[in-house]
Amino acid sequence: MARLFLWEIEKLRHLRSVRLGLLAAVVLPLIWSVAPGLKAVYGLQLVSGWQVPALALLAGMEFLYPFLVAMAASEVLGSEVSMGTLKALLLRPMPRTRIVLTKLLAASLIPFLFLGASLGAGIVAGLPHGFGGFFGGTGLGEGGFAGMGYLGAGEALAEIFRAYGLAALTLLPIAVLALLYAVVFLSTTASALATLATVLLMRLLVVFPAITPLLLTRYLDLYLRPEAAGPGLLLLVIYTLGFAVLAVLLFEHKDV
Amino acid sequence: MSALEAIELGKRYGRRWVLQQVSFSVQPGEVYALAGPNGSGKTTVIRLVTGLAFPSAGEVRLMGQKVHEGGWALRRHLGAVVEAPAAFYPQLSGRENLERLAWMAGLRRAASRIREVLAQLELMAVADQRVATYSLGQRQRLGLAAAILARPDVLVLDEPTSGLDPVGIGKVHQILAEEASRGAAVLISTHHLREVSAYVHKVGILGGGRLVDEVIVAAEKARHRIRVDDPPRATALLRTLPSLQNVRLRGEWVIVEGAVEGAVDALVAGGFKVFEVTRDYFDLYEYYRERVAHG
Repeated sequence: MARLFLWEIEKLRHLRSVRLGLLAAVVLPLIWSVAPGLKAVYGLQLVSGWQVPALALLAGMEFLYPFLVAMAASEVLGSEVSMGTLKALLLRPMPRTRIVLTKLLAASLIPFLFLGASLGAGIVAGLPHGFGGFFGGTGLGEGGFAGMGYLGAGEALAEIFRAYGLAALTLLPIAVLALLYAVVFLSTTASALATLATVLLMRLLVVFPAITPLLLTRYLDLYLRPEAAGPGLLLLVIYTLGFAVLAVLLFEHKDV
Repeated sequence: MSALEAIELGKRYGRRWVLQQVSFSVQPGEVYALAGPNGSGKTTVIRLVTGLAFPSAGEVRLMGQKVHEGGWALRRHLGAVVEAPAAFYPQLSGRENLERLAWMAGLRRAASRIREVLAQLELMAVADQRVATYSLGQRQRLGLAAAILARPDVLVLDEPTSGLDPVGIGKVHQILAEEASRGAAVLISTHHLREVSAYVHKVGILGGGRLVDEVIVAAEKARHRIRVDDPPRATALLRTLPSLQNVRLRGEWVIVEGAVEGAVDALVAGGFKVFEVTRDYFDLYEYYRERVAHG
């Protein structure tokens, strides 16, 4: 299983969606760090390097990161279908469950990969602004970018890491849902579209207050509400495991 | 025990049956060719017997065990190419692709076996090049190399000569015949019946999702054709001989089944001039055309 998983990681490097996603994740914070209209449009003046990765996360989580994760996770299986290699894999003496599980694990890495790249690029892009303590906020903690007074470098770092970690975890069920749809449709495009449609539809379901607390999309901003992490993460784990179990069961008897 | 057996196999998509009541078996050492026009269900049969798709009716047995219930370990007996051209990871070399497949098959001493099959398929010169640079024919040959890599008991190939040049086609047929003589049961789908007629044992003809005919080619080979100076009269004479069966006229040839020496003796005794006697190989292609046209 470990060897198969390492092979999946190697395959990730060659997926176009993963390469494009990484590029976008790196470019986004760089754009924010040099954006001349930041103050004019958003009324925001960058006073610390810590605000750059925060700004990238806030902007990216709105649509870009869920979209990139859905595309890349769909391609984990979809590329094997389009290249014809899935059939070759399934003809080997190896359980289908093992094959789809390693793909689920690989897809689960994608949110961490993209957000890790974005965080790294954000830190590099924030260098000109300095990473010391400052008066204001990272944008991810109490008081937003205005903050609650002086914020030490350690506290800012903790806020950034916590927010990126939570954001990656909230994208995890989207990645697994994309792989589930890839199993259903055996197509990258159809799977990515179905995943995004599901997420967008769920966002609209807030008009039904009774089910709102159970909606996956209710927790996509968990990185801004760490106090809700307990029940939020539990629900995200349930969604992730539910999608994963469905993907395994469907793949076991899927015509290829 | 049959190495591969399809029993009352059926496949339905929605309400539409694309395959119905298809039964055949392939014995160890036997080559079975599936023929039929496009859309007749050949590829569906290949996908079902390899376990890639699941039947709506019937079952498939591989080495006596049910393919769809026998578990993944059963696929140790199977070597297959189900796509033309065969699919590989384009960023890897041919050798690296085979190394990964050998590892998945749990093959021991894989490196030497990989060298062996690469040499057998004349791919050593490109073995370390990325598959993305391979020609169609090279990919097809690499597909066959992958299929025979683990010395399978059952070999299943969908259009194995598609995209190959005449030399490549000859090579593939030679290897398939060798695999059969090693004891492997070989199932191929093909349009090229004349090419395979030299070594196939049975041909299943599919039409409209059903097996419309099954021809045992080996039994058809004990036949001769005789060129004489007066074919119609010679045919009439030979029909009186009890040692001959199915005597008939085909153009300037008299076709006979049975003791050909007795036929020649009778013709000479009857005053006919015998110009030529030769084996009359069963013309699968002609038979197929006739069968599909009237099936």
